[in-house]
Amino acid sequence: MAKKQVILGAQFPGVNNFTVWSDPAAGSQIAFSSFRHFAETVERGKFDFIFLAEGLRLREQKGRLHELDVAGRPNTLAVLTALAAVTQHVGLVGTLTTTFNEPYPLARQLATLDLLSGGRAGWNFVTSPGAFTGANFRRGDHLPHAQRYERAREFVEAARQIWRGGDFAVLSRHFDIAGRSGLGPLPQGAPVLVQAGESDAGRELAASHADVIYSRHSELEAGRAFYADVKGRLARYGRRPDALKILPGANFALGDTEAEARDKAAQIRLQQVSPRSAITFLEQVWNRDLSAYDAEGPLPAIDPDVEADALSQGRAMRYDDRLATARKWREIAERDGLSIRQLVIRVTGRKQFTGTPQAVALEIERHVQEDAADGFVLAPHLTPGGFDEFVAKVVPVLQDRGVFRRDYAASTLRGHLWAA
Amino acid sequence: MRIALGLEAAQPGLLPLLADPGLLAAIDATAELLTLADGFAQPGADGPDALLLANWLGARSRQVGILPGVAVNFLEPFHVSTGIATLDHVTEGRAGLLVQPLRGARPAQARRAIGPLPGFPEPEAAALAADTAEAIAVIRALWDSWQDDAIIRDPVSQRFVDAERLHYIRFQGQRFSVLGPSITPRPPQGQPVVAIDLQASDDPAQAAGAELVFLGAEATALAPALRGAPLVFADVLVGDSARPGLRWDGSAGQLAALGRLPGVAGLRLVPADPARDLAPLLAALPPVRPGAGSLRQRLGLPPAPNRNINVAA
Ligand SMILES: Cc1cc2nc3c(=O)[nH]c(=O)nc-3n(C[C@H](O)[C@H](O)[C@H](O)COP(=O)(O)O)c2cc1C
Repeated sequence: MAKKQVILGAQFPGVNNFTVWSDPAAGSQIAFSSFRHFAETVERGKFDFIFLAEGLRLREQKGRLHELDVAGRPNTLAVLTALAAVTQHVGLVGTLTTTFNEPYPLARQLATLDLLSGGRAGWNFVTSPGAFTGANFRRGDHLPHAQRYERAREFVEAARQIWRGGDFAVLSRHFDIAGRSGLGPLPQGAPVLVQAGESDAGRELAASHADVIYSRHSELEAGRAFYADVKGRLARYGRRPDALKILPGANFALGDTEAEARDKAAQIRLQQVSPRSAITFLEQVWNRDLSAYDAEGPLPAIDPDVEADALSQGRAMRYDDRLATARKWREIAERDGLSIRQLVIRVTGRKQFTGTPQAVALEIERHVQEDAADGFVLAPHLTPGGFDEFVAKVVPVLQDRGVFRRDYAASTLRGHLWAA
Repeated sequence: MRIALGLEAAQPGLLPLLADPGLLAAIDATAELLTLADGFAQPGADGPDALLLANWLGARSRQVGILPGVAVNFLEPFHVSTGIATLDHVTEGRAGLLVQPLRGARPAQARRAIGPLPGFPEPEAAALAADTAEAIAVIRALWDSWQDDAIIRDPVSQRFVDAERLHYIRFQGQRFSVLGPSITPRPPQGQPVVAIDLQASDDPAQAAGAELVFLGAEATALAPALRGAPLVFADVLVGDSARPGLRWDGSAGQLAALGRLPGVAGLRLVPADPARDLAPLLAALPPVRPGAGSLRQRLGLPPAPNRNINVAA
C-alpha cells in the first residue's frame, strides 16, 4: 500500500509565547516583507498552507497590557489576501472568530480571498466568547458561553449558503439574514474549514462540518487517542475517515548532530521563557501577583487563589483546576530539583521535534504512518527566517522518502490536502 | 492638478484587468491614487470585498495610493481599522480609507444582509450619518493607539512592548463602545488618508472627519461650500454612460481646464466600462512624479501627529 502523505502547515510566528524576539536573527512581526519572506520560503518547500492565529484584544496580565511577548499583528484576511498576490500555490488559512463577526461580511471576505487566490482560502473558525474581547466590538459581550458552538454551527451553515452564490436566506436562533451573493461559485466550492476546539462540542462540530482539525495532541500516544476519537465520530455524519484531516501543532529544533539539536532546543526554550515570562506563566496558574519571587528559585509555598477573577486575559490556553495544577507542578519541581523557570520550561512546552534533519523527518513521518496525525501545523521560533533551514534540509528528506510532494500537483488548497 | 481613478470592485471584467501587470504599471505611472468602491450587499452584484482587493493590489503595485470603499455603518470599526492599517503596512504608506455612505435602497439591503443587530444603526439617514462620524472617530483613534515607538525589544527589562506607549481609546458612542488598543501597530503614515464620497443631496457636514472629499459628477457645486476644509476632488466621467455630470472629451486641454474649477484640487476619472475605457484613458494621461513618498506626502497633507503624544513634552 502506498504510504500516507504528510500534510504541512506553517504557522507565522507572531503573537505567541513560542515566538522569540530577543534573538539577533528575529525580524519584524508586522512588516509585510517578513510575511512575504515567510510565504515564499514555505512555498519553495511545497507546504500545504500558511496559518495565522487570531487574538482580537491585546493580552493583559494583572489588569495591565502584557509587555513580555510579541504583540501587534496585521488584520488576518487583509494580510492573507496581500500574500495571495505574491504566491501561486500555497494555501492561506486564517483564524477568525464566529463570535465577533457576522456571516454575510465574513463569508464575502473569505469568498474574496478564495477568488483572488484561485482557490487557496482556508478558515479556522474559533469560538471566542466573552466580555474581554467583546469590549472592542459593537455587539460587546453578546454570547453566553454555552451557545458559542451553536452559533458557530449556524454561522458555518450560513456561510456555506452564501458561498454557493445567488439568493441566501437564514432564519435560525442566532441569525436573521437574507440577500443575494454575486461571488459564487468559488474556485474551491467553499474555503477549507478548520476547527480547533478541544471540548466534546468542538470535536463534534469538527466531525460534522470541518475539513481539518488543528489540535494540541502532538505526542504519539495522545495523538493516536485523539485521532481515533475524532475519526470515529465521522461515520455518524456519513463521512469517510479521510474526509477530516488531523493536524496537531508542533515546534522544531534542528542540529547537525543530535547533541547539537538538543542544545539548540534548550537554548530556544530559554529564549522563549525569560525569567519574567516564567513568573508570568506561574501567575496564570497561581492567580496571584508573584513578582517578588525569584525565577531562578523554588516554587511559591502558598496556594493559588481560586476565588479571584482570572489575572490573565486573552490567551487560548486556560488552567481550569488551579490547585491540582499547582500540586502537580510542585511535585515535578521537587522531584527533579527545578527552579520556577526550569519548571515552566518543562511544563509549558509543546511538542518540539528535535534532532538532525533526517531524524526530524523520520519522526514526523512516523506520527503520520502510525495514525497519530495526518500532518502538522509547524511553528518556528523566529520570524521571518524560521523555516529557511527546515525547507532546505528536512523537506528533501521527506520527499526522498516518498511521503511529501516534490512539486504542487494541484492549484487549490483542497487539491493539496486530498492530493493522494 | 492631481489625477485619481474611480473604480468599483464589483465592476464586471475589473479583476482580469487589475491582474494584468502592464495595466497595473500604467496605473502606477499615471494616477496619484485610486478608489475602489465596495458593492456591499448590492443584490446579486456585491462583488469582491474592496478592502481585501485593495490589499491584493497593494502587494503588486509600487506607487499608486489605494483607497478601498467601506460601508462603515454595517461593519465593525475595529476590523476596518486593522484592515486599513494592514493596507498601509503592505504598501509602506500608500493607504487610505474611502468612507462610503450607502444611499437609496442600499442601507435597507445592507441591514437585511447583516440582520437587525444591537450596536449597529437603524437604516435611516440621520442615524447612519451619526454612526459614520462615530465609526471614523474610532477607526482613527485606534490608529493612534500604538505610538510609533511602542515596540522596544528591550533585553534588559525583558519587554517586547512598552505598555506606556499603548493606549486604550475608551470610545463611548450613542450605540456602541470600543476599548482598544488596536491589535495592529500604528500604520506607517500614522493616519492613512480618510476620504468620503459626497453626492449633491448629501449634507456636506459629513465630510468633517475626512481629509479628502470626492464630489460626485453632479455635486461639483458643493466645492465652494467645502473650501478651507479638506482636499476636494471632482468626479469626471469617462466613456459613454447615461449618467449626467462632468465628462471627459479625451483631450488634455479639457482636463487642465476642469482642474481649474474653483475649490478643486484634483480630478477623479471614473470609467463607465473599465474593460473598454481604462487602457485608452491611462494612455492619454500625463505621467505622475515617480517616487513621491507616502500618499500623505503625495497629496501635500501634513504628517499626522499622534494624539497620545504631548507635543509640549
Ligand atoms: C491548537 C489550538 C489553537 C487555537 N488557536 C486559537 C486562536 O488563534 N485564536 C482563538 O481565539 N482561539 C484559538 N483556539 C481556541 C479554540 O478555537 C476554542 O475557541 C477554545 O479551545 C475553546 O473551545 P473548546 O472548549 O472546545 O476547547 C485554539 C485552540 C486550539 C486547540
